[in-house]
Amino acid sequence: MKITDACVYPYPHGNSSVRRLALEARLLGYDSIVAMDTPACETEGVTVLSGLIIAGMPVKDVTNQIKRGKGQGVVVSVQARDNGFNRAVCGSKGVHILRDVACADKYAFDHVAAKIAADNGTAVDLDLSPIISQRGHAREKVIHRYFDILVLHNRFEFPLTISSGARSVLDMRPVREVSGLCSLLGMDIPDAEDALAGVGKILAPKETAVKVLS
Amino acid sequence: MSTRPPTLREKRRYLLAKIEPCGVPVDGKDLYYAIHEAATSLWGDVVVAAMQPAVITIEDGYAILRCRRGTERECAISLSTITGCRDNRIALRIIAASGTIDSLRDRIKDLGPYVMENGEVTSTETRDSSGSPSTDSRDCIFDTRLYRIVHSDGHKVDVIEKGFKNTHRLFLTTADLEEK
Repeated sequence: MKITDACVYPYPHGNSSVRRLALEARLLGYDSIVAMDTPACETEGVTVLSGLIIAGMPVKDVTNQIKRGKGQGVVVSVQARDNGFNRAVCGSKGVHILRDVACADKYAFDHVAAKIAADNGTAVDLDLSPIISQRGHAREKVIHRYFDILVLHNRFEFPLTISSGARSVLDMRPVREVSGLCSLLGMDIPDAEDALAGVGKILAPKETAVKVLS
Repeated sequence: MSTRPPTLREKRRYLLAKIEPCGVPVDGKDLYYAIHEAATSLWGDVVVAAMQPAVITIEDGYAILRCRRGTERECAISLSTITGCRDNRIALRIIAASGTIDSLRDRIKDLGPYVMENGEVTSTETRDSSGSPSTDSRDCIFDTRLYRIVHSDGHKVDVIEKGFKNTHRLFLTTADLEEK
C-alpha cells in the first residue's frame, strides 16, 4: 500500500522544486506524490507520478485530450463541473480522478455519478487545502460537501484519494495530521489510510471478472 | 491566596513543534494569536476554553506549546490548520508530546538547534548532508535567475531571488542547483 499525496504543484506553479517536495514528502511519511505537469521519476526515495489536470473543457475535448495522452502513465484528474459533465467524465475511460467537487455546485456529484464512478473505478479527490487554509463559511461548505461525498462513498464504494494541493513545502502535512484532518470528516484511521492509498489502487491493473486458469 | 495542591491542579500536556521555514522571526504572542484563531475557527469557543492552548516558549526554531491533558488531538489538528503568523507564511510540524517541558527541551537538544539566518547572508550558516557546517557560495543560479542562499540543511536549500522586487522564498535541493 503506497501512501500518496494525489496532487502537488511543483515549480513553476508553486515555490518548491519537485525534488524538494519529494524530500519533504518522504520526511512526512509519504511513499509517492502526484506532481502536476512534471515527468514521472523516482527521487529522494519517493515515486513522483506525473499528473495532468483538465479543467474548463467540454466533455468532448476532455475525451480527446485523454486519448492523446493515453499510455503515458499520467494520472489524469478532471475538475468537476455540473452534474451532467461529472456523470460523463466519471464514465470516461482514462479519467482517474474527479477533483474539486467541493467547488462545483451542490448537486454536481449525486448518487448516479457515484454509481458510475464506482463502476468505472474513477476516484473522487478530497482536497485538504480548503480545510487547512480557509476559515468560516467557506470551510463549512467544503466540509459539508465532503460529508456528502463520504455518504455516497460508504454506499457505492467508489475510490477516494486525498491531496494536499501543495504549492509549497509549507502546504504539505504529515500523514498523521492528514488522518487527524480526515477525522473531522468522520473518517477513521483505516478509512484515511485507504484514501491515501487510493492513487495506487486506481493505477493498479484491474482484475478481470473471469479468470482463465488454463 | 494559597496555591492548589498538585492533585487538584489540572493536568497539562506540552507539544513540541518545529517552525518552518527556518529563520522566520516568530513572536510568541503572534504565534499564540495564530493558534487561538485557528483553534477557535475550527473547534469553537467551548472546545478552545477546555483546550487552553498556550505558547510556553520559542527557542532554536522550535515552539513548546501547552494544552490540557486529553485535548492533544484537537490541539494538534488545529495546529495543522495554521498557515501563517502575522505576515509570515509558516507551518508547524508537531514532533512530540510530553507531560513535562524538560523532556521536550532534552528532545530539542537531541534534534539540534535550527540554523537561523537573521536575514543577513553573512550570518547564514549552512550545513552539508553530514550535518557539519559548510561554506558554499552565497549566490546561485536557478532557472536562469540569480538567487541568494538563505538557508541550507542537508539536501535542502532555501533561496531568495536577488534584488528588491521578489522576496519570496524558493524551496530547492542541492541537486536542483547543480542541474540548472
